[in-house]
Amino acid sequence: MARAASKSNAQNWFLHRITGTFLIFMLITHFWVQHYDQQTASVSHSVLTTEQIEQGELPEYEEAAALAVKERFGEDAEVTPYDVVMLRLADPVYAVLWKAFNILFLIVALHHGFYGLNNVMADYIRNPMARKTAKVLSWSLALVLLVIGMYSVITAGW
Amino acid sequence: MAVDTLEKAADSGSAKAVSQDSRFQRYRIRTGMFAWMAHRLSGVALVVYLVVHVWGLRALTDRAAFNELIAGYHAPIFKIGEFLLLAAVVYHALNGLRIVLIDFLGWSPNQKKLFWSLGAVAVVLIGVGGYPTIYSLVDFFFLAG
Repeated sequence: MARAASKSNAQNWFLHRITGTFLIFMLITHFWVQHYDQQTASVSHSVLTTEQIEQGELPEYEEAAALAVKERFGEDAEVTPYDVVMLRLADPVYAVLWKAFNILFLIVALHHGFYGLNNVMADYIRNPMARKTAKVLSWSLALVLLVIGMYSVITAGW
Repeated sequence: MAVDTLEKAADSGSAKAVSQDSRFQRYRIRTGMFAWMAHRLSGVALVVYLVVHVWGLRALTDRAAFNELIAGYHAPIFKIGEFLLLAAVVYHALNGLRIVLIDFLGWSPNQKKLFWSLGAVAVVLIGVGGYPTIYSLVDFFFLAG
């Protein structure tokens, strides 16, 4: 029992480094398409005041994004954050790849984050019962996020 | 990593004695210790962000809700948050890379040099990567009349 536990700890320790290394590359891709690529960045560089947001004003997008949205969804398509994301997630060819990437990214990020969080909690929570409770609660939250995240990614645009 | 405490340091005469008036152990903060603390703090912050991020993306299934969510993220406070997020991610990623290099390739004799080299890389990445955000914030607050 103790032997099995220590083997699992060693495997998780190793896995934490592997997932961390993978996350570096996945995050570069994520940041690139979401923030820097002028066609696909759904978070643009415009800054909105509270009044503008309350009036339902949407962020401005680059010409490249507007052109791509109109080409895909028709001349009178609105260029909104949703449509810019759907350039990838509702693409007839590449949507499957983007969804697969996002799901893999989600799994790796959740495992890395919640394993790390449990390491931190195990260092500060002395009571074994409380430690166990924190472990169960945090992994339950990770599982909920996995289901929600997968559902959002898979159904988006379909 | 062996940890030096203030008391131990005081015994060896390399630092002035510090009275232990709290129940918490006080530590001498050196490069490795600082790197470790910053790694923990940024890591916990990133998990909190991950939870909020995935939870918010439920809106991906509803056009109006998604547009409202993303418009909200263009408020100045969130743009500042975006920059801080980049800084946390870059630090955590590069220090994590340093940990992997030490653990897997045994680079520990170079770890301090490695920390400061990667620190320089981090500053460049945060500067270049955060430039559009900083530019739009400066424009919003100071340039746009």
